[in-house]
Amino acid sequence: MDTQYIGEHLGPGQLGHFFVILSFAGALFSAFSYFRAANTETSDRQGSSAWLLMGRNGFVIHTAAVLGIFFTLYYIIANHLFEYHYAWKHSDLSLSPKYLLSCFWEGQEGSFLLWSFWHSVLGLVVMFTARNMESRVMAIIALVQVALATMLLGFYLGPDINIGSSPFLLLRDKMVDAPIFSQPNYMEFIKDGNGLNILLQNYWMVIHPPVLFLGFSATLIPFAYAIAALWKGDYKQWIRPTWIWSLFAGAALGTGIMMGGAWAYESLTFGGYWAWDPVENASLVPWLTLVAALHTLIVFKVTGRAYIITAILFVLTYGLVWYSTFLTRTGVLGDTSVHAFTGEGASLYWHLLIVIGVLMVISIALLAKRWKGLPRVKAEEQVSSREFWMFIGSFVLFLSAVQIIISTSIPVWAPLAKWISGKEIAPPVDPVAHYNNIQVWVAIVLALLSAAVLYLRFKTTDIKVFWRRITIVTAIAIVVTLVIGFAQKISTLQYVILLFTSCFAIVATINYAVSIQKMKLMKLGASLTHLGFGLSLLGILLSSYNKEVISYNTTGVIIPYGEDKMENIRESMQNVILYKGITVPIGEYDVTYLGDSISANDPRTFYKVYYQRRDSVTGQVKEAFTLYPDAFVNPKGQEGGMSANPDSKHYLTKDVFTYVTSVIDPAKREDTNAYKKHVVKIGDTVFVNRGYVVFRGFTTEVNNPNYAPEPGDIAVTAQLSLRSLGGDSMNVAPIYYIRKNFEHYIEDTIADKRTYVRLSKILPEQNAAELMIRQPDEDYIVMKAILFPYINVLWLGIVVMVCGFFISMVNRITKKEKAAKPY
Amino acid sequence: MKKSHIVLLVLVAAAVTIIISMFGDFSTYETFASAAQDQGKQYHVIGELAKGKSMEYDPLKDPNHFSFYVQDKSGNVNQVVFKGAKPTDIEKSEQIVMTGYMEGDVFHCSKIQMKCPSKYENDKVAVANQG
Repeated sequence: MDTQYIGEHLGPGQLGHFFVILSFAGALFSAFSYFRAANTETSDRQGSSAWLLMGRNGFVIHTAAVLGIFFTLYYIIANHLFEYHYAWKHSDLSLSPKYLLSCFWEGQEGSFLLWSFWHSVLGLVVMFTARNMESRVMAIIALVQVALATMLLGFYLGPDINIGSSPFLLLRDKMVDAPIFSQPNYMEFIKDGNGLNILLQNYWMVIHPPVLFLGFSATLIPFAYAIAALWKGDYKQWIRPTWIWSLFAGAALGTGIMMGGAWAYESLTFGGYWAWDPVENASLVPWLTLVAALHTLIVFKVTGRAYIITAILFVLTYGLVWYSTFLTRTGVLGDTSVHAFTGEGASLYWHLLIVIGVLMVISIALLAKRWKGLPRVKAEEQVSSREFWMFIGSFVLFLSAVQIIISTSIPVWAPLAKWISGKEIAPPVDPVAHYNNIQVWVAIVLALLSAAVLYLRFKTTDIKVFWRRITIVTAIAIVVTLVIGFAQKISTLQYVILLFTSCFAIVATINYAVSIQKMKLMKLGASLTHLGFGLSLLGILLSSYNKEVISYNTTGVIIPYGEDKMENIRESMQNVILYKGITVPIGEYDVTYLGDSISANDPRTFYKVYYQRRDSVTGQVKEAFTLYPDAFVNPKGQEGGMSANPDSKHYLTKDVFTYVTSVIDPAKREDTNAYKKHVVKIGDTVFVNRGYVVFRGFTTEVNNPNYAPEPGDIAVTAQLSLRSLGGDSMNVAPIYYIRKNFEHYIEDTIADKRTYVRLSKILPEQNAAELMIRQPDEDYIVMKAILFPYINVLWLGIVVMVCGFFISMVNRITKKEKAAKPY
Repeated sequence: MKKSHIVLLVLVAAAVTIIISMFGDFSTYETFASAAQDQGKQYHVIGELAKGKSMEYDPLKDPNHFSFYVQDKSGNVNQVVFKGAKPTDIEKSEQIVMTGYMEGDVFHCSKIQMKCPSKYENDKVAVANQG
């Protein structure tokens, strides 16, 4: 079919395709040249440097091509060229320019592009700094770039088999069968794209993915150095650059994970910064193994021990980075993840498995080849040595990673388990408790080790000095623990222990930095990182242990769905309904919903919620503020739906976190409702807009100016009492009477005469009344409010930890090595 | 035996214990019928929204009570009560994964996960009821 299509812009796509091919060819050429350069290093020096030059050029061309892909795709998205599938799927005309970059990480192609971009940038840095390790390290980096470039190739070998997928695919090529593309002027009908997922339209989502991917990419460099060392059997030269790059990767990946937590906290409504979601776990696990590898590397540097475990951990870290992509991108997690992405088909599944397989085979083969000559130390280490406990700490980190990855990978290995045992294994019912209950012990051990290890010396320690220092620190830590523990009412055993160990870590690292390191900034890297770790643990403990949903119990009653167990009622009643203008007590606040507002250039609806805190004795307003939780009501493609964003009031010591869980359907707001029928027995409750009505019984006494008795009447009053949300009570007395065989009603009204209550029937055999109630639907929101105490301690801890990483890194870079030249 | 070996051995033993005990935490996918055999025990049930059955959510009455019907994989239709706000878009879901327990004839769930035929990449919506 040779249709001449009208209105398409094919130029950028062709240019883009060219860059894709060029980036692949450049990486392949570079990898091959570097490989030749490395293999001829000793036999043919001249030939080797010629190969080296070609390898460099190849890599520079590759980097230029990656940038070319990036800018071409940016041009397509920024100019809304919806004939391209990527632009159509991930953007629309209303997209604010600041989120244009976010379109890159929504799709699979864009993510691989981002990854490839960081590898290229870091590769260039390695190229200029790796000196005589350049050929080997760059051969590995270029090889990985070849693998990544194939992800963007988009070669179609069949309808369902493709190698990679190109971001420059046309809409009409992606949806070949759609009838619209039989029209040459189809572009006239495609006015707008699908739009970016609203969850990604958040400032954290502009910076979190690039930083996280920088962290993922940075783990490639230690991996490449580890392989390069094995390649030549040179186990000395790689230590320094690997150390520096591991510190960099630890800082970048740590920052990326934290930003993910901050994003979740600020724009997702699960009410927290960490939910042990598979996607979160998949990024945490490589960080754990990386930190373990960093510590065993230091042990190896100082004592010559732990080489093998170090090499394995670096390989594992990089393998886990690819595995995390496999988990999150292929849809293998299926039902278990909140934000796992859609499956991109079997092709990607096998593609990623092959890449992981190749990386692992290369690593294992090299390790096996060099196995006999690998550095080992025969003599046993002292139990009082720093290296022994660093090794133990790394091992605990590794075990923690193993536990997380086994539980996260349930959907991956469940088919195998079913084949063996016949049971369909599902993730734990309460994943948060599952991980917490195990990882709390990991945290306890690590907090102790991270601080105590600082007081030990490599090889051998004067154990008396050690215990003297530790005793003082422990004493201070116990005092701090008691103060915080009582103030925060922490009583569960494992959390008391965690509280103590994190206080111990904080006190010990500060003491170490001040009294032993004398605050020499460049030396403070390790103690700062460990201090940050201790602070983070304390922050996590305080903010989650006393995290409190304050939005329950608002009407002063437990709503009588009596069949539930009490704890379920408490657990579940976390949403509160707020009528416009009616003040409801939430926690220590008086909260009023003041109405919603929409602005022209923002698709969100903002709900204005006013908080007041009064002095309990004098009643004076001590503080007042307004929060604006917002929501996308009726987002595109989800008519009738809603996607809410929280808003928080930040204090130094706590956060009040609120978000809207449900709002009145705007279409229903003006609806005049018909009467609704309620059959009530004595003591029963009927909920009305601004409170609830209790039916207390009948009386034949009728006292109403609207009722003039006549002989022969049978008149009954229903005795109802209304309890309003504000806590006031009033009586409601609708009248039912029979006059000359006809039923008559005198209604009573409540709430500004807008709600009508009619006694429409008496059911004597059931001792029940039939009430007809008519009320207007009022503007309301359903909201949830959570109190997070001391969450700032967590953020502070992570910032301190990242600073520690950077100080260590700068210290490593500037410090002259004794024997070896700076790299 | 050397001291360091003892420490390592203790650590490995602890790790093995933890990993074995961890398997006890794992849940299984069940149907309404099999979940009903062990009342009150939490399971995962997969199903789809039963068409033509009523759905009740009235925040004016109780913002934390949502009742609906689900057809599980074996074809049985059962009432489900979710203690929380009605998840948006549940009408459009293709598949629902619920975590909860049977009590009498009603499945009480604390967590709903839906798969929607959305145009978005991020096409999973989860509603959890965790404090």
